[in-house]
Amino acid sequence: MLAIENLKAKIEGKEILKGLNLNINPGEVHAIMGPNGSGKSTLSNILSGKKGYEVNGNVTFEGENLLDLETEERAHKGIFLAFQYPLEIPGVNTNTFLKTSINAIKKARGEKELDAIEFLKLIKQKLAELKFDEKILSRQLNVGFSGGEKKKNEILQMSILNPKLSILDETDSGLDIDALRIVSEGVNSLRNKNNSFLIITHYQRLLDYIKPDFVHVLKNGQIIKSGDYELAKELEKVGYEDFN
Amino acid sequence: MQTEIKSNFEKSLSEGDFSSLQKEIKEKNFNKFIEQGFPTKRIEDWKFSDLNQIISTSFENLDFSKKDNQSSIDDDFVNEFEHNKIFFVNGNISKIDFSYENEEKIILNHNLELDKELNDNALLNLNNAFVSNYIKITVGKGYQFQKPLILYNYLTSDLDSCGLNMRLDINLEEDTSLNVINISNENIKNNFLNFRQKINIGKNSVLKNYSLDVNPTSNIKYSFKDIDLDKNSHLEYFILSKGSKFAKHDINCSLNNEYGSVVLNGIIDLDKKKHHEIKTLINHNEENCKSYQLIKSVLNENSKGVYQGKIYVNSKAQKTDGYQLSRALLLNENVEFNAKPELEIYADDVKCSHGSTSGNIDENSIFYLMSRGLSHAQSKRLLTNGFLNEVIEKITNEDVKSLVKKLTDIQE
Repeated sequence: MLAIENLKAKIEGKEILKGLNLNINPGEVHAIMGPNGSGKSTLSNILSGKKGYEVNGNVTFEGENLLDLETEERAHKGIFLAFQYPLEIPGVNTNTFLKTSINAIKKARGEKELDAIEFLKLIKQKLAELKFDEKILSRQLNVGFSGGEKKKNEILQMSILNPKLSILDETDSGLDIDALRIVSEGVNSLRNKNNSFLIITHYQRLLDYIKPDFVHVLKNGQIIKSGDYELAKELEKVGYEDFN
Repeated sequence: MQTEIKSNFEKSLSEGDFSSLQKEIKEKNFNKFIEQGFPTKRIEDWKFSDLNQIISTSFENLDFSKKDNQSSIDDDFVNEFEHNKIFFVNGNISKIDFSYENEEKIILNHNLELDKELNDNALLNLNNAFVSNYIKITVGKGYQFQKPLILYNYLTSDLDSCGLNMRLDINLEEDTSLNVINISNENIKNNFLNFRQKINIGKNSVLKNYSLDVNPTSNIKYSFKDIDLDKNSHLEYFILSKGSKFAKHDINCSLNNEYGSVVLNGIIDLDKKKHHEIKTLINHNEENCKSYQLIKSVLNENSKGVYQGKIYVNSKAQKTDGYQLSRALLLNENVEFNAKPELEIYADDVKCSHGSTSGNIDENSIFYLMSRGLSHAQSKRLLTNGFLNEVIEKITNEDVKSLVKKLTDIQE
């Protein structure tokens, strides 16, 4: 589904990714762990099309060159990034945003757009699953949301858009244990043989809830080791500093 | 232009039905205007909007005496809610309809009340010189309007290169309330409109005034309102400034007795080469009064926006609470925004603040929205709508709020 070959990225002349290779097949959950500054967020930004990077290498998504696509085209094709720091959008009500988003994607895929009633039905079901108060729909997007609410809102968006590849950028940071469990359940409910996940995190904690199929260690812009869930445990014991 | 305007003035004076005193005042005002001319940027109040230059580049000649009493349009294009209406057609009042109200409580006075003193503001002298068709609406003590009043301003398609001077005054007696909406349906041609309103809000009374300039036109518009507030009265004022080629809204509010309050919010939303200005002066003349102002501007293409806002606090006006904020979103490098916020305070126990920001649209926010499948244009529109929506949400009349959302294409 996603194939990354020798990916290099620079921002403002500084090399962040230095030849990264990664393959994700349908239905797989991959975790990338690494210390601060190892290039984790750069990777998620590049996969979702953020401007400002000088990028080299090959990235294909379902056989298509991903790097040629605009951000919104990637979303239309089924790539979703749950932001580490979701942005506050004043004056835009969450309900309007969610409906605009799902219908933009449906339209691009040539599917029928949801009317107000169909949308409401879908959103209510997803809110209930995530134990999220319906009041958030009438609030301005992420404005005044707590850290936990912002992350839950990302998972809510993910669950209504039902992407093929979800990239979770430190979704666990700033979450308390209850929120972490709810968020993890949200992710687990989307797991199936077609949907894949790339989970970026510092800590093993999230991986106790969402058991990954593969764990990769990112250090200095490269994946230095790959393994299964046991690798995460080993990392937690040894720490990034001494891990080689 | 001077010889033409003089003959226009002679014509309007001879055709109008004026008393000899009125004629005398009009002549004085006219002579003063001729001496002053249209305001230039050398005048402080006009430093960001050189009207003289705008007029001379927009018109070869302006006809101030065109009379058109035949046109009677009464197409009320607002059909979202029931309302009373007054139609101005080509500057003349053509229809008055207060069918939702107890008409005994509404007094209409057509006897022109001209300013006794000459003004520093040349356009007020011009207005006094030419205005003929006049109305003053007085709402009798204790009467609350059932439905809003819409002042429709129509210009017919044959009107071109004309100067129109209009005047409508409102007087709210004690314990009254009224919602007024000013809205235009003008053709695309070039005209100069000089609209004057004197408003008095009596004790314990509430006026909500919504001024909506939406239709794209080549008109040059100036509107001057002076609003006096008595004890415990309230004014809610909202401006949507969008359609005209040039518009300047000049609003002077005077809080003349205790516990009065003013909420004055505005939107400047421009494209093409439009140039709009909102200028406000809030006089806090007595104790315990409040004023709040929020002006937001979105500038696109080659447009220019201006906000000049002053809060004046008299030495008697202790416990004044004054607030003023201007925020502008500049969508490209060719636009210009000027803000001149001013506080002039002579009392020592007051709370006053002002602020002004202008900036570009946040690219990180655009990225966030695009990552959810929205196009760049859609994301930009959602962000600018959200930016303006904060002002629209402050409208307390729900019918007007939905109308404004519809007119600005901002979704619920």
